[in-house]
Amino acid sequence: MTEEQYPRLSGEWMTPRRRFLSALYGGRVDKVPAMTLSSVITLEAMEIADAAFPEAHLDAEKMARLAATAHENLGLDTVMPVFHSQLEADALDASTWWGTKDNWPAVDDHVLTDPDDFKVPSDYLERRSFKAALGAIRLLRKRYPDVGIVGKVYGAWSVGFHMVGIENFLMDTILDPDKIRRYLEVLLPASMMSAHAQLEAGADAIMWCDHANRELVSPDMYRDFLLEMHQQIQAEVGGPSILHCCGETTDRIDYFAEAGWDCFHFESQVDPVKAKEIAGDRMSLFGNINNPTVLFSGDYEDCYEACMTVLNAGVQGVAPEGSVPLGTKMEVLAALADSARDYSNAHRPDGRFVVHDPPAAGGDD
Amino acid sequence: MVQLSDIANETIRAEIEEFLERPEEIERNVELFTRASPSMQDIAAALIEGDNETVDRLTAGALADGVPALEIMDDGLIAGMGIVGIKFREGYVFVPEVLVSARAMKAGMAHIEPILAASGVEPIGTVIMGTVQGDLHDIGKNLCIMMLRGGGFTVIDLGVNTSPDEFLAAVKDSEARLIGMSALLTTTMPNMARTVEAFKDAGLRDQVRFMVGGAPVTPEFGEEVGADGYGKDALDCVVLAKQMALQVRR
Repeated sequence: MTEEQYPRLSGEWMTPRRRFLSALYGGRVDKVPAMTLSSVITLEAMEIADAAFPEAHLDAEKMARLAATAHENLGLDTVMPVFHSQLEADALDASTWWGTKDNWPAVDDHVLTDPDDFKVPSDYLERRSFKAALGAIRLLRKRYPDVGIVGKVYGAWSVGFHMVGIENFLMDTILDPDKIRRYLEVLLPASMMSAHAQLEAGADAIMWCDHANRELVSPDMYRDFLLEMHQQIQAEVGGPSILHCCGETTDRIDYFAEAGWDCFHFESQVDPVKAKEIAGDRMSLFGNINNPTVLFSGDYEDCYEACMTVLNAGVQGVAPEGSVPLGTKMEVLAALADSARDYSNAHRPDGRFVVHDPPAAGGDD
Repeated sequence: MVQLSDIANETIRAEIEEFLERPEEIERNVELFTRASPSMQDIAAALIEGDNETVDRLTAGALADGVPALEIMDDGLIAGMGIVGIKFREGYVFVPEVLVSARAMKAGMAHIEPILAASGVEPIGTVIMGTVQGDLHDIGKNLCIMMLRGGGFTVIDLGVNTSPDEFLAAVKDSEARLIGMSALLTTTMPNMARTVEAFKDAGLRDQVRFMVGGAPVTPEFGEEVGADGYGKDALDCVVLAKQMALQVRR
């Protein structure tokens, strides 16, 4: 990264790590952070880092090198090494297809039919997926003391999808809700152990993924199955917490805030102005640049414009909505950091802190 | 003119009254269920409630009583699923409720399909369906397949993680000309474009029609990847497939 490519702000004085953490808690920043929370790895990044999928999923050094491209080559304030979603499930004996260079890993067989059969293995945190991820976090912490490191955890609900199968899991929310509660109860320790281990290895914050979005379930289902559990997580996770939930979530953002998440990483289906209106000062918002249309199919200007739209809504940080398609061009992703820099330069009346414009008046409801 | 009160089954009446808003859908369903016999209405009601055991029992009973399989499928199973589809579209129910009703529909179709197959009823067309490469999510695809089969199509299900070559091979093997691609992940959506490209490279693009769908897929994205149509949900998929079947005549 050269000074010419990424000129420093005249008043820039926070480290990326400090900036990220301050924004996460809704605090003062010298510049709105541009981040990776889910993966920004691309085929181009794999060439640059000489570290490619699928090897990078299970090799700490390659994973760390590849993750570092987010900061080194895109100028982002964070790095996030857990690119895939198999960390917990693979270590819990779900069968994993580790994918190819241009395809993502996925669970290819579901192993659990009865919550009473489940037990966290005694060597859970020493298994291959954790060995790589925790090793990568340690390497990144050592190499980038001033850059924010995001850890990623799949919560009990989403690990349940992997272990039980999403179809069976969702049907049982209707047919046998007590069984689902039992699944959540036995799976939660596995997610919590993952969070603690990543924080201990050096992650600054945990992004907790539980996919209870409108495309799948009602807001009532979030309230009935997850709200209390998510409140419990806040008390026990031991670090800053970011919730990620895919898709349309407008009708449950209020519950997310009630759960006590420090921040919500939201997707492009959600109007950022509306999200800000609901979340208020209770929870920060990071997001929500559209993957398929803007980042994958669009160009630098499209991305820049989309970032400005979300920044103008007053969210605390800009990031892609989810893991970007591997064919996304890095020149497009470069607009994330550029837009955050330009927005911040235009919103620092005292030359030190970013002051967002007042939120747009009224929602559209 | 038929009235809502002409429908014998109380559950069906309540469902139409409470959940249907569009006048043309109210009219169509009131007409449909008024025409349907009380036993067909009972099947539809049980399906809407996700009661697979009752659907199984009532379907078997109706067949034993001599009700034609096609009538049970159209006036009982598909009619009930149509209400579920509308409730899903309008946000009154979500995927779990749809899956439970789909399970009930499957219980009924298990009796119907062998009879239809044996009777030599010609399908409207053949559709090749698959979740694109790298994506192992199949709830949406499976719901589409169920509705397509219920709608009179033969479906070749390629399952999940379907490579462009597998779509190509299926077309070559079956001579089907209608292809449905599904993706749940924004990371795998680009594989829809790769599949379309593979058909161009093989010189087969002009001979087939592509439908795309999946939670993050939009009509605009469908256009960008070169698909011929986009379906928002399983009901939409059937409508789209019927239009395209006329175009490909197979």
